[in-house]
Formats: sequence, structure tokens, C-alpha cells
Amino acid sequence: MMDKQMAYDIISFQLNGQLVQTELNAGERLSAALRDKMHSRDVKIGCDAGDCGACTVLIDGAPVCACLTPAHQANGREVETLSGLFLENQHAKNLADSFQNYGAAQCGICTPGMMVSAVALLNNNPTPNSDDVANALGGVLCRCTGYRAIIDAVIAAGTETSPYDAKGHTGAGIRRLDGLQKVNGTEQFGDDIAPSDALVIRVIRSPFHRACFHFGDLDAWAKGTPGIETVLTCVDVKGENCFGVIPPFADQPVFAEREARFRGEAVAAIVGLASSIENFDESGFPVVWEERPPSMTVFEAMERDAPLLHEHRVGNIMCGGFVSRGMPDATLNNSDATVEGHFSTSFVEHAYIEPEAGFALVKDGRVEVYACTQAPVMDLDELEKILGMQRADIRIVPTGIGGGFGSKLDISIQPYLAIAALKTGKPVRITYSRTESMQSTTKRHPAEMSVKIGASKNGKLTGMVFDGLFNTGAYASWGPTVSNRVPVHASGPYVLENYRAEAKGIHTNGPPSGAFRGFGVPQAAIAQESLFDELADKLDMDRLEFRLLNVLENNDETVCGQVFAQGVGIRACFEGLRPAWQTERKAAEVYNSKSKILRRGVGIAGGWYGCGNTSLPNPSTIKSGIRQDGTIVLHQGAMDIGQGANTAIAQIFATTLDVPVHQLELVGPDTDITPDAGKTSASRQTFVSGNAARLSAQALRKDIIKLVNAPQNAQIEIGQGEITISDGDIVHRIDLALLTPDADGFVLRAQETYDPPTKPLDENGQGEPYAQFGYAAHLVVVEVDTAMGTTRPIKFVAAHDVGHAVNPMLVKGQIHGGIAQGLGMALMEEYIPGQTENLHDYLIPTIGDIPPIETIIVEEPDAHGPFGAKGLGEHVLIPTAPALLNAIKDATGIRITNVPATPSRLRAAIRMHYKEQASG
Amino acid sequence: MRYERPDTMQAATALLAGAEAKSFVLAGGTDLLVRMQNDDFEADLIVDIKAISGMAKVTETDDGFVIGAGVPSVALFEDTALVAAWPGVVEAANLIGSTQIQGRCTIVGNLCNASPAADSVPALVAAGAVAQVAGPSGTRDVAVIDIPTGPGKTSLAKGEIIQAILLPKPNARTGDAYLRFIPRTEMDIAVVGVAVNLTLNEDGTVIAARVALGAVGPKVILVDTAAKAVIGSKLEDVVLQALSESCSAACTPINDKRGTVAFRTQVAGVLARRAAQTAYTRAGGK
Repeated sequence: MMDKQMAYDIISFQLNGQLVQTELNAGERLSAALRDKMHSRDVKIGCDAGDCGACTVLIDGAPVCACLTPAHQANGREVETLSGLFLENQHAKNLADSFQNYGAAQCGICTPGMMVSAVALLNNNPTPNSDDVANALGGVLCRCTGYRAIIDAVIAAGTETSPYDAKGHTGAGIRRLDGLQKVNGTEQFGDDIAPSDALVIRVIRSPFHRACFHFGDLDAWAKGTPGIETVLTCVDVKGENCFGVIPPFADQPVFAEREARFRGEAVAAIVGLASSIENFDESGFPVVWEERPPSMTVFEAMERDAPLLHEHRVGNIMCGGFVSRGMPDATLNNSDATVEGHFSTSFVEHAYIEPEAGFALVKDGRVEVYACTQAPVMDLDELEKILGMQRADIRIVPTGIGGGFGSKLDISIQPYLAIAALKTGKPVRITYSRTESMQSTTKRHPAEMSVKIGASKNGKLTGMVFDGLFNTGAYASWGPTVSNRVPVHASGPYVLENYRAEAKGIHTNGPPSGAFRGFGVPQAAIAQESLFDELADKLDMDRLEFRLLNVLENNDETVCGQVFAQGVGIRACFEGLRPAWQTERKAAEVYNSKSKILRRGVGIAGGWYGCGNTSLPNPSTIKSGIRQDGTIVLHQGAMDIGQGANTAIAQIFATTLDVPVHQLELVGPDTDITPDAGKTSASRQTFVSGNAARLSAQALRKDIIKLVNAPQNAQIEIGQGEITISDGDIVHRIDLALLTPDADGFVLRAQETYDPPTKPLDENGQGEPYAQFGYAAHLVVVEVDTAMGTTRPIKFVAAHDVGHAVNPMLVKGQIHGGIAQGLGMALMEEYIPGQTENLHDYLIPTIGDIPPIETIIVEEPDAHGPFGAKGLGEHVLIPTAPALLNAIKDATGIRITNVPATPSRLRAAIRMHYKEQASG
Repeated sequence: MRYERPDTMQAATALLAGAEAKSFVLAGGTDLLVRMQNDDFEADLIVDIKAISGMAKVTETDDGFVIGAGVPSVALFEDTALVAAWPGVVEAANLIGSTQIQGRCTIVGNLCNASPAADSVPALVAAGAVAQVAGPSGTRDVAVIDIPTGPGKTSLAKGEIIQAILLPKPNARTGDAYLRFIPRTEMDIAVVGVAVNLTLNEDGTVIAARVALGAVGPKVILVDTAAKAVIGSKLEDVVLQALSESCSAACTPINDKRGTVAFRTQVAGVLARRAAQTAYTRAGGK
């Protein structure tokens, strides 16, 4: 018996063509064995429960989730992963090309699962159609791309050549410069870098929404538990046990001190050997909880006797934002037509496929943190405060990031890593489980919005009043930003001379609400754009023409009194939708005349979004240089979280310097060597860091030309060890070997900063909050099964004014991905603390949920943007949800005001509607 | 925790029968590996049955089909004879998880996990499937409907393993269908599942029917009133209405984030109507 047991615990199998052998524990997963024992870190783990498919590998040619495969069952079989397939399988090679050509890999975390599944499909069926692809890839979730580019890439694999562009300047839809590592399995994400013997950290979290707690003898517990090195609590926080992205509102402890304010809040962490942490049974940890009654909704939290989450915030009100102009109440009272409504939205989870992960060590007395992040320099700011250390003694090295969408702006794992590394003096690592990631990181704010809008009978808007309560959860995070942004944006991109909007952030015992693509604007757009349809209907006007009658134009005043002399592109967006609006409405009418249970409808909605911080400084700095050998180096500090900053910023730089983009060597946002290009948020990188890159290239170019006294328009060519400058027939040569390199090895260098021009808002919110806005309008056709309450989107048309499309392929990628997230928010996503803390209870759209998307790129150049370019990252989901709700109304006559419009909710509304019709 | 991989069913049942504390049978692992992650999961023994010969085969016999306990779902829809005979059973197995999960999961596992929402179970019940149960003292046949007794619970005794599912040869002019409702297009647990199995006579009249519901009660429900409603009919509108109503009446669902009681009850009726129409067409009815 004993022998037999031993024999089973050592298995051998073919891994990517090599025979491998390993020892196993009972019940060990193949995913863990591959990553930890065979260093196959191209196998990604997103959920450990078969929900995301990122870990898909082939066993004897069949695609399976490695996380649900007992490693013992691989014995004697053939296992293939992306890195092996990329080298040996022709379909994988074709897919690698095709994924890059179509932008099918954004952040890249799902790409191994997608590509491995696609290889299995193509091995059996080399010419699949889109349904075949959707079936084969249905078990792999992607949060970035909206899936359509992936479908196109799989269908086109092996049939097309690369859209190579020799110069790769702005306007060219070139492949991502960092694309190859995403398709060959070598990209290193937060969980992919730690040495395998690093100590592992596990956080102890509150199981209650609100609870007091006290510890037993932690030292004795640690000493008595094999493999545990130490326990961390608030006493190990040597600096301030308080962080927050907006320093005046900082309120979140690294470890709670007496009371946990939300379910999943950290109270302690244990650090130990990987095997001990893996088998750790939390029930033995010496902590005693006393549950307290929580306030879960803004209404509960605002009751007179509700306990205060933070003593100094009276009424649990964190802060508010306000914009007012004209006489909205009086005008609404005298308007020919008014509509009003109350709209509610839910917590929405970012659901990036990469859970937070990283690694840290102490080196020469400095602490180095390698982790996934959207904002390396903000991480540094926070750690400086928390650790109570000199800034110079902390280094942040961002790893590849498997999606962020706003949540990875806030620190999560970073303080645990740094504190544990400093306390133990050993390398440490941490990876959140999917549940931890969902419980403890930020969410989109649930909103309660009461809105009233009026118009005259000729269809001109007269006034609007917006009142919004935003559930900011237990801690401030980006709540103040949401409160400020919403009143500025709640009008939508329309002329409203009489307007008042107020938004308040309210603390509850929910998870902290923070930044999520749009900072509250998508919620406000649901209310405003829904009511615009109601108003148009009341006035008996075409819903699109009603909007066009009221859109902002160049030289109009926004609700903040800001005037743009150029670049207001919302009219062009809506006009771009007009042909589809007319034909699709007719088609739906014809369809509905023959169908009772299945009803089709068409919806439209618009949106706008100001790029960068609201009336606050928001600089980016870009450093560049030329080495003696002629290498052009771009310190690209704008975190590429999948959106493509590494490519777009480089294209802007190369265009300005007038060199081919492929000649650049990119250096990433390591805080030791690359200046601060700000955070990747608020659709600011293309605009702000893009401008800094443009200025840096301009300065470099000027310096080069100055060396030979040529005119500014001279042509430069940077070659091996030399620069050639041509001014008509006169040709100058600079021998770079004759120049002296500086400490960075640069013989020529430039560092420039750009800060967008804004002006403060006064007490009525009047001013110049943003240097630029981007504009968008979406159209969607849906089919509602009225017997079941299901909504099936059939087609999207999305028009976006991007000023100038720096890289049209990346632009399309943003639009598709934003639509997928907007669709999720509108139709299925609802984070309920304690109930939907994994990816099988919290549903995000799968490949089958996203219909074809037609994109219309509008280019109304912005006065400040680089080459006229505007930001895009948030704009892409703002109109999606209201367009869907408007389409549901068009199809069924039912206005859903509480999102998500789940089948259960929609069906109940349909039932009520028919009952009312029958009795009325 | 001990991991064993016996190569005979006898050895497997002996291991389970002799286990002192909690033990689990492992086939594809898609449910067990997820459960093992829970902090409160405890087991002393895991018996992997995949190395037992014959476990991973679908065999067509004179009486019908024998589906081994180790057969992954993906193998069911590659078996053309099985697809032709029991399309509803196969389409139900095809709805469990995703392609990547169907490469691992088994219908026996789906049955033994005893989730009220298991997709393949209503289809098996409607098809009149039987579980072949191996135990320390030999094998016995149990109707599939008698296996689950409640959420996470089965009627299997200590030491017993379901070694195969037996599907009968369908009678002439028989068709089955399974439909379920989930809030997105793929990859979720059924909120409601309905399986219908109909046999017609030569003029298209229903002469035998089985209707089973999933996810609307603590275990799969065989709705006799629904079967009675359709027998003797050609699924006329009024019959479909009666079928729909009797299915709704049989529901005792829970209220949760996936759907309210009212919603599940009503959707069961809608799906029953639609599944019956598909089954009728598959049986050759017009």
C-alpha cells in the first residue's frame, strides 16, 4: 500500500514536448503544479474555480481549465501551454500574428487562455465561423477587448499579413510595440516574478460588514504554528496607518485598529512558508469578532441615529459637489414639458482577470515593491507615508498589469508586501484570491439619482435639476472625485442655461467605492439620457433630432460656463448615427409587426467626459535621450494597463521627432529611473503624457538641430552612432562618439512636463474644469424576450470624437471594451457584498454576449491635445448603458430605472405593465 | 489527506467503505477541486476513479447506452449515435460550464454533486435514465431521480459509487429537449432548467411524456401533471398552456440574486412550453 501511494505521488508527463516529473500533494491542481513546480508561468490563474478560463491548457489536445484538473490525472499524458504551442504549432504562430494585428490582446492576461482554446479549435476546424469561435472560447473571460477583436483574429489567423507601417506615426493603426510578449506567454504579471522560495503573505479579513475585534496572543500563535514567520497588524505600521488617493480625505487603515468597517477589511496578515500558508486554516487564528449592525445603503447611513463611519463626517456625508447656473427651478416650473425620475445603480466590480499580486524584497537597505499598478508614483507617495521611510529608500517597479479599469489606482497589496519584507528581511509575495480581490478592492459607486428636466414645445431644453447620492462605502478612495465630476457632467454634452446639480458621497459599510471608468459619469448619464428619451417622446419629437437640437457646439457655454472655440464633436457623433438610426428603427418596426413575444428596439445615447483632473494640477513628465550608439530611448512612464499607452505615447514621440517608431527603445515606469507621468486614469495619458512626450521630442529635436545650426524644418535621421541632418542639399553629420555621455548614458537628452490648463470652479461650479472634453454617442439594437425578460443586444454603432486617432486600432479596442463593460453594468452586473464575491456569482459578459460593433471615428481636433488628440478611456462606456435602457423602452414600452436590468427585474416590470394596461 | 487511484471498482468501493472519516470520489474534479479550496473543507481520503478500466467509455448495447462515470461531457456530443438518440441529454451536458470545463466534467459527477441546478439531471430524469451503483456487496440499479435527496445530498450509501448511467434505447418517434435559463449567454448555473421527453404515435399524438424541472426545488422534480396534460394531444395551444401552468405549479424555488420566486416559477412554464415544442419536432411531430 505504501509503495503504491508513493508511486502515485510522483507523476511524469510530456510538457510542451519535454518529459517532466514532479511530486504532488493530494488534490493538487495542475495549474498550481505547472506554475510553481515547472515554472510555466504562461499559465495564468484568474479565479481558481473554472469561471475565467485563463489557465486553459491542452491535455492530449483537448482544452481544459488547469485549475480544475487534478495534477495526478496528467500522469502519462501530453500537456501543452501557450509558450510551447507558440514555438511548435503553426496555428499558434498564426494566432500570435493575428492577435497582434487585430488588437485581440490588450492587457494580455486572458490571452494564453484565449489562444490555447483557439489552437484547439483550429486543430479541429481550420476555417471556423464566428459562432464556432464563440463556442470554443466561451469559457474564457476577457474584460478589456469586448471579444469582437478576438473573434476576428481567430477567424483571420493565417490569412492576413501584418498592417506594418514603416514610420508608425500617429494616425497609423500599428501593432502594439509591446504586443509580442502578450501572445507568446512571456509577459510577466504581478504573480509571475517572485522567486519560488519567497515567503507568502495572507491577509486576515473581517467576515462581517461591521465588527469590533480583538486578538489573542499572536506571538504565541505564530511561534506555535509551523512555517509561520510572523504576524502583521497595525502595530507593524511604522508610519501612518492611514492611506487614501486624495490626501485631504485619506481615511483607510492598512490594518483596521478596533473596528472593521466593511466585509473583507484587513485586520492582520500572516507571513510564512508557501506550504504552510496554503494549508492555513483561518479558524485557528486568534481573533475574536463582535458583529455590529451595519449601514448598507445610503438611506440607512443617512438616518438620524445611524452610527458614523468616521467621527468627523457628520451624517456620514463624506463630501459633495455642486454646479449651478441660471434659474433652474423657476424655468422648470414654466416649461412646456417636464419629465422627472429616480434612478438607482449598483456596486459594479472591475473584474479584471488578474487578481492583485506582487513581490517585494529589501536590497541595500531599500525596499523594492514589484506589483501590478495603474499609478506607480502614487504607490510611492502612499508607502512613504505608511512606512515612515525616506522616499529615496523605496522603489516601485510595476509589473505587467492584467487589467485595472480604475481599481488598481489605489494601493492594495503594496503595504503588506513592503511591511512584510522589511519585518522579515526576506523576499515576500502575495496574490489575492478572486474572492479577496472582489471583497477588498474598490467598486463603482452605487447611485441614487433624482432628476428633472424641462423643454419648450419647440424642443429646446429649458432647465435641469440633478440630485445624486453616491454610496462611497467605508472609505473615501476616489469618492471626492466622483462627487466633483458628476455635477460637471450630469448635463451631458448639451446646452443648459438653467441647471443645478448636486452630488454627495455617503459612507456605508459597503466596500470602498473608488474609480471605475467614468468616475460616476456613467451613472449620471443613465438618468439624463433616459429622461431625454422621455422628454422627446412627450414632445412627440424624434429622439435623435431632439438631442441634435440641444447639443453643445463650438463657442457654446457648458454648464460650468466654459467655452471651447474648437473641438466640440458631439454633433458629428450623433450625425454619424443618423443613417443607422433611421434604417434600424424601420427594421425593428417591420420585425415587431410579425413578432409578439420577441420585440426589437433601438436606443441611442450621448456622453462627454473631461480629460484629466477636475480643476487641479495634473502634470506628466517624459524623459528621453539618445545614446552614443544612436539608440533613441523613451522613458515611457504612463502605465500601459492594456489600453496601449506604450504604443500611443511612442507614436506621438516618434512623429514629433520624425523618426520611425520602431527605432525607439522604451524604458518603463520604474520609479528609480523614469519620471512621473501621472496615473493612468481620467482618460489623461494620451492627452497629458502624450503632450509631455511631444514636448520632450520637440526639445530633443531642437537640441539636435542646434548642434549643426540647421533650420527647424531640417530632416533628421538617427543611425548607428550618428545623426544625419538634411537641410535641402546641405547634409550635416553628428558623430555621436564625439559627444560625452551623461550618467544615464545619454549624449543628448530632454525632459519635459505638460500640465493641462484649467481654472478653479467657484462656489457655483463655474470655471474651467478641464482643458478638453471628448464626446461619444452610441446606438444599439436589442431583442427582448418578453416572456423571459431577457435582453439580447444585436448590434452596436458607436461614434466617438477622439480629436485625432493616434492609433485607430487602439481606439477601436477601447470602444469595444468600453461597450462590453457598459453592457455588463446595464444588464447583469451587481456586486452584493457577501453574495457575489466570485466570478460565478458575479456575472460579467462572455464572448456570446457582445454583438458586432460598428465604430465611427470622428476627429474634431482639440486645441490642446497632441496633434489634436483627446482622451478616450472613459468615454467608451458612458453612453452604453443608457442606450441599452432606451432600446429596451423602445422595444417594450418599459422604462427600467434600476440597473442592472436583469431578466428577473425586467420580467417583473413587464408583468406589472401588462397588468396596468389590462386594468387601465 | 490521502489520494488513491485504484484500478478496479472493487478496490475503489473497498477504500471508500473502509474510510474512517470523510472521503470523496474524484472523477473530472470540476466540483471537488473548487470545494477543496473552502476553508471548511475536510477530507481524509480522495478516491480517483479515472484509472478504473471502462470508466471513460460510452458503450452502445442492445438496450441502450452505458455512459461510464469517467466520461467527460465533451465525449457525449462526439458520440453521434447518442446525439441522435438523446439530443436533449446531450444538449444538457453541453451546457455545463464551458468547453474548457466540459473537457473535464462528467454527468455522473453532475448527478452526485447533487446541486438542485445541475443541468444534466432533469434531462436524465426525463429520459428515464438509471444509475448503476457499485458497492462493497455488488451493483444495483437506481432510477436517476432517486439519487439526489436534497442540496448536496444523495441516497448513496457508504462505499457506493455510481459507475455508469444507463440510457434506454428510445422508442420510435421519441424526442427529448432541455432548455435552461441563465442571465447571460453562457457559463452560469441554471436559474431554471426544463427537460421534456415525448413519444408520439403515427398520427403525431403524444402517447408518453416525461417532464422534469431543475433549479426550482431542493432537487429535480418530475412533473406528472405536466405529462398528463400533454398525453393524448398534439401540443395544441391550450395543451401547451396547461403544460406551462402545471410546471409553474410544481415549482418550489428559492428567492436569490439570480431570480425571484415569481420569476423562476413563471420562466419554468415558458421554458416547458418551448422545450415541449422542440421535443415534439424531434419526435417527428409537425
